[in-house]
This record gives sequence, C-alpha cells and structure tokens, in this order.
Amino acid sequence: MIGTFGHISLISALILNIYLLLSYFLSSLKKNINFRKTKHLNFLISLFIFLAFIFLLWSFATSDFSNMAVYQNSHSQKPLFYKISGSWGNHEGSMVLFILILSLFSSFFSFSRINENLKYLTIFFQNILILFFLIFLIFTSNPFDIISPTPIEGLGLNPILQDPLLSIHPPFLYVGYVGFSIIFSFALAGLYLQEFSMLWSKQASFWIIIAWTFLTIGIGLGSIWAYYELGWGGFWFWDPVENASLVPWLASTALLHSNIASMKTEKFLSWTALLAIVTFTTSLLGTFLVRSGILNSVHAFANDPDRGLYILAVIMIITFFAFLIFILKFPKDRTPNILVFWSRGSFILINNCFMIFFLVVVMVGTLYPIFLDAIFDKSISVGPNYYNALLAPFVIVLLWFMAHGPLLEWYKFNKLSLIKIIFQISFLTLLSSLIVIFYFKNISLLFILGVFSSLYLIISVLFDVFKQKVINKNLARIVSHFGFGILIFSIFINSFLSKEIDVPIKVGQTIKRDTIEIQFKNIIKSQEQNFEEIIGNFLVKDGTKSFELSPSLRKYFQPSQVTSETSIKNTILGDYYLAINLSEFDGDKIMIRFYHKPLMMWIWMSIILIILGGFIRIFKKQDAI
Amino acid sequence: MFSKSVQNRLKLFSVIGIVVLILILFIQIQLSKNIIYFYSPQEIKQINNLPKEKIRLGGVVKEKSLKKIGNYYSFVLTDRSTEITISYKGILPSLFVEGKSAVIEGLLKDKNFFIADNILAKHDENYMPPEVANALKKNIK
Repeated sequence: MIGTFGHISLISALILNIYLLLSYFLSSLKKNINFRKTKHLNFLISLFIFLAFIFLLWSFATSDFSNMAVYQNSHSQKPLFYKISGSWGNHEGSMVLFILILSLFSSFFSFSRINENLKYLTIFFQNILILFFLIFLIFTSNPFDIISPTPIEGLGLNPILQDPLLSIHPPFLYVGYVGFSIIFSFALAGLYLQEFSMLWSKQASFWIIIAWTFLTIGIGLGSIWAYYELGWGGFWFWDPVENASLVPWLASTALLHSNIASMKTEKFLSWTALLAIVTFTTSLLGTFLVRSGILNSVHAFANDPDRGLYILAVIMIITFFAFLIFILKFPKDRTPNILVFWSRGSFILINNCFMIFFLVVVMVGTLYPIFLDAIFDKSISVGPNYYNALLAPFVIVLLWFMAHGPLLEWYKFNKLSLIKIIFQISFLTLLSSLIVIFYFKNISLLFILGVFSSLYLIISVLFDVFKQKVINKNLARIVSHFGFGILIFSIFINSFLSKEIDVPIKVGQTIKRDTIEIQFKNIIKSQEQNFEEIIGNFLVKDGTKSFELSPSLRKYFQPSQVTSETSIKNTILGDYYLAINLSEFDGDKIMIRFYHKPLMMWIWMSIILIILGGFIRIFKKQDAI
Repeated sequence: MFSKSVQNRLKLFSVIGIVVLILILFIQIQLSKNIIYFYSPQEIKQINNLPKEKIRLGGVVKEKSLKKIGNYYSFVLTDRSTEITISYKGILPSLFVEGKSAVIEGLLKDKNFFIADNILAKHDENYMPPEVANALKKNIK
C-alpha cells in the first residue's frame, strides 16, 4: 500500500521533470524563460522524490514484506536503526538516495545569489541528470516492486553491514559524490553562457567545498569501519571499492585548489572547468564500478548486467556532451600568461599535476584488471605493493611543494626571505626527525624520507601560523594542511612499525613476544536474539601497561554467517588490536590475531582535522576567502 | 628560427612530454611487477610452463580434505574436474569452510602441489568470487 504511494511519487517526479525540461527548452528558443515556473517545478520534483524516499523508509521501518526490496534486504527481528539504514543498504534504495541528493542540490542551488540565466541553466542541466537516473530507477530497479503473495519474513541483511558506522557512511559518501553534480552542471552552464570567470570560481567554491568535505567524511567513516569490522588490522586495503571513492577525492582536491587559483588570479580557468567535469565523471564511474557487480565486494548490490550497461551508457553520454561543450566553449584565461615559477599559482599547478598522477595510478590499478577480464577473459589482480611503490615516493615530493606553496606570494617572488625560511624549517625538521627516528629505531630510507617530509610540512604550517598575524583568514587551509601532514606522518610510522602475532592459544596459557605478553583468561558463550557469541577474555601487557581485551565471534542465524568482532585498546601511542578465529576452535584452544598499530588514533584525528578545515571554509563568510 | 616565445613553449612541451613518458614507464614497470594472475585447477593442468611468480588459485575446498600436519594445514582445492593439494602455514580465516569456495594466493611447486601464503575470504559464506564461479561454470558444462 505504502509502496503504491511511493511509486506514484516517483512517476510524478518523472513527469514534472520532463515538463520542466521541455518547457525550459521551448521557452529558451523564444528567449523568454519563465524563471519562477522553473524554480517551482524544481522544488516540486524534489518534494516528490523526498516523499518517495520517506515512503521507502516507512516500508523498511514497518517491515512491509510485500515490497520486493524490503523482502530481500530486511528482517522483522532486526533493530529499528538497521531496518531504516537497510533502506539504502541495497541497490534500489541507494539509487533513491542518489536521486534525492541530486534534486536536493538542485533545490538548494536555486537559493544562491547568481545571475538568473546562469542559475536556471544550471538547474536545467541538473534536471537532465535527474531524468537519466529517474528513468534508470523506475524502469530497471524500481524500489517499490510488489511481491504477491506477501512473504511472512524477509531474507535479512548481511550482518557484516549491521554496523553503525557503515550504516551512516553511504549518505555522507553520496552527498560527496552527488554534490559534484551541481558543480558539473554549474560548470557546463558557465561554459555554455561564456560566463566561466573569476566570478564563477567564487560562486562555485562554496559547493565544491561542501561536496569535498562530505566525500572526505564518507571515506574516513568507511576506513574506520574497515579497521574495526574486517579484523585484519588495516584501514586501507587498496580494494577497488575504496579506490572508486579515492579517485573522485583526488580529482576534487585538485579542483578545490585550482579553483582557488582561478578565484584569486583568474588563471587556470579552462583547467578548473575540465576538473569540474572530470570530478563528477569519476564520481559516476565510481558509482558504476561499485554498484554494477563487476567488482567483487560487499558493495556490489546489482548483479544484473543490464543495470551496469545502462549506467555505463549514461556515463558515456553525459561525459561526451560535457566534453563537447567544453571543447566548443573553451574559456580563455584573461590575465596575461606569465607564470612565475616561485609563485603560489604555479605551486598549485604542481599540486594538481601530482593529484592527476595519483589519480591515473589508482585508476590504472583499478581498471586494468577489469579491462583485461573484459577483453582477454583473463583474471588478474593488482597487489597493494603497486600503489605503495608508486605513490609513496611522489607523496614525499608533494609534501615539499605543499609546504612551500602557502609561504609564497601569488605574483611576486622574494628570493631572500624564501631561502631564509627554507633554511629555518629544514633545521627544525632535521632536529625533530632525528628525535623521531631515534625513538622508533628504524633506519630504512623510505621511512626516513617519509618522516622528514611530513614533519617538514607540519613545521612549515606552524611557521605559517606564527608568521602571519591574521590566522583567521587562512584557518581552513592551516587546519587541513596540518592534518594532512600528520596523516602522512602517522601512515608512515604505522605502516613501517606495525607488529603482528598470529598464534594458537589455550585457556590459561601466556604468550610472550618482545615486550608484549598475552594471557588467555577464559572463554564465554552467550546467546543473543539474532546470533550466538563466543567471547574470549584476554589480558594483554606491554611493559608497565596492562588491559583486558575481549574479542568475539558471532554466528548469525539469518542469514547464517560468522563474523569476527575485534577488541581494540586505543592509546595515544598506538592501538592494541585483538581478533579471534573460528578455525581450530575446540573448547579451550583458539587462534588469535594480535596487532600493535602505532599512532592509529593520530590517523583518525588527522582525518578529523582535514574535515574540520572543510567545515571552517563552509561556515566562513563568503567574502573572507 | 623560432621566436623566443615559441622556443620556450617547445622547451616546455618537450619537458612535459619526457616527464609524462617516464611516469608512464614507472606505472608500467610497477604494474607488471605486482600483477597476480588467477588460475583454476583445470587451467594449471593445461599449461606447459609453470608460473614462477605468485599466483591466485580459486575453487572449492574439497569436503573432508582439511588436515593438520605439524604446523601446516593441508587441503584439496577442486573445480570439480581437477584437484590440487594445498599446503598452508598461517591462520585459516573464519569463513574458510570445507565445501565452500576459496581463493588462495601463493606459489605453485608442481602441477599437483601449491604452497599458499594467504587465503582470501572476506565475504559471507554464500558468496562466491566471480572468478571461481566462472571457473566452475566452465568445467561443469
């Protein structure tokens, strides 16, 4: 019953959407566009899609198993929170969320204060995107399909997905992915009307930073989930699904920076426009890869090749027309083309080159296996070492440029003061890296370079803070860059100095490795509503520190599946991470995986800093940029 | 021959071209170093030159074949037409179950014997990696 209302809402949204597009197109031929009508139609479309989304949530919350999507992905015994989050934890529901965000951005955009022609052409382009995805939703993956007769019980949801972090990460990720759609539409409108200028950059910056911040939050949440839930001690696995979110992040980080240059100096306009197009295209590509079932992962909802083909066709059409507009209406940089190497502008350009290189590396690693499989029917995978070997050396160089860019001026170059600063920063960095290297007692070259360059960035940011009296003006950049320095620093420490102990252990037994002592105290079995659980209680000692860890194994009934729940003690210097394994479990003996992960909390804190920088920019007054 | 600005531009473009070429070369080298090929037991039987580098092998863990010998596990991986004995030192993931699919990474010693150093199992138990599903499909036909 509710489902029927949902279906009607979607169809209404589609009809209104087609009406908006037609009336806009026809009236633009007569050069007499009714802006108010377009605005109201745009709101109505959002309203109907929002209603459809609410109806879907309602069906999931009340476990209405006459709905196909609910039947396949939910279960009446599930807690309400996971029932609701389950509504976007499947292909159909996630597409509704996708379209909802598309149209919400369109509605919010109509409030921005820009010239009406530009604004409504953007909304027109945005509604073309909505059209493509609404057709896709209604005709290939209708979330309101009905099963008859109504089943009594649902098929449940993968228990590994029943996790608070995982439940909330798709909405954030989608606001990021889909947020770039409005920048894409805005860029196309700007190009088409030949209004791609400094002013465009100023107006776009707000939307870019919103989408970028949310994408960063989504990626961060996903990686925290992987760390806690997968039980292998890592937070980034170079899994194709992770890469699919990293590629738009790299593109948008490049866009974010080149847009700043366009805004300040009116340089790189065409480059900024290109990046705006590329960012959204890679977001779409990410959606396609993740959802189509080409990649094997928990994210692959749709195993229906038709759907994959449709999305692929849509991406190709959208990309083709976007590039067509770009080529035909190529914006000319209006300032004379003088590039002083030692200027902030050219350092932003260098930063962009790095981002594009990283993007190509990640894309090649992700797409090459798919390509080989499709053309030559050969299955391969690309090992994580490919990414580490290619990215690590270049990140080290990037950090150096990142440290100096903000210290330079936009146009002029003061050689003496720069040399002095480089000298001072290098001296302090050398001192602090010696302390760090001495403390961690690791002397491999890559490690030393990584520590040195990330400390170099951190110290240069501190210099930046003390040098300028007005911190408020650059607070967003300072916080984000500082966070990025700490992120790279902790990743280097973490990946070089993690320890792992895999060993079978009996109740009462104590195991010693280096400074670490693990004592297996006892084992408890418990019965919960949806699963039975085996909990191991351990006492872990490291030097003078000692604490209890209680990892467990859960055997879920619906669907039947075993998950491993990790137990983690966070300390400032590092995490103690313990997981147990089902194999060889016979009453009192069990397999354990213990990890010591140095500076894990620093990684999370630094991601929070980077995100905080984004929020500072969002909430700062527009003119202060 | 050329004006100064054209000369500068030519220099710039040739530098960019060389840098891009070097980077492509880097990517190409790392890619070929880190590719792991996937085989089914059937394919192993048919090839002439045994791969010397690390490979992945996918199939179904044969029922009642898992044994523990000292520190090592031994089990049989099958695609329902060919079988390969696997030796593995390490922890078996919780989702490693006899009769279910598994993907194994390691070195091939000869056509019947494989030394694994990693067992990949991150998914739920009804899930079958597409590579394994394809390999099984080919053989059952």
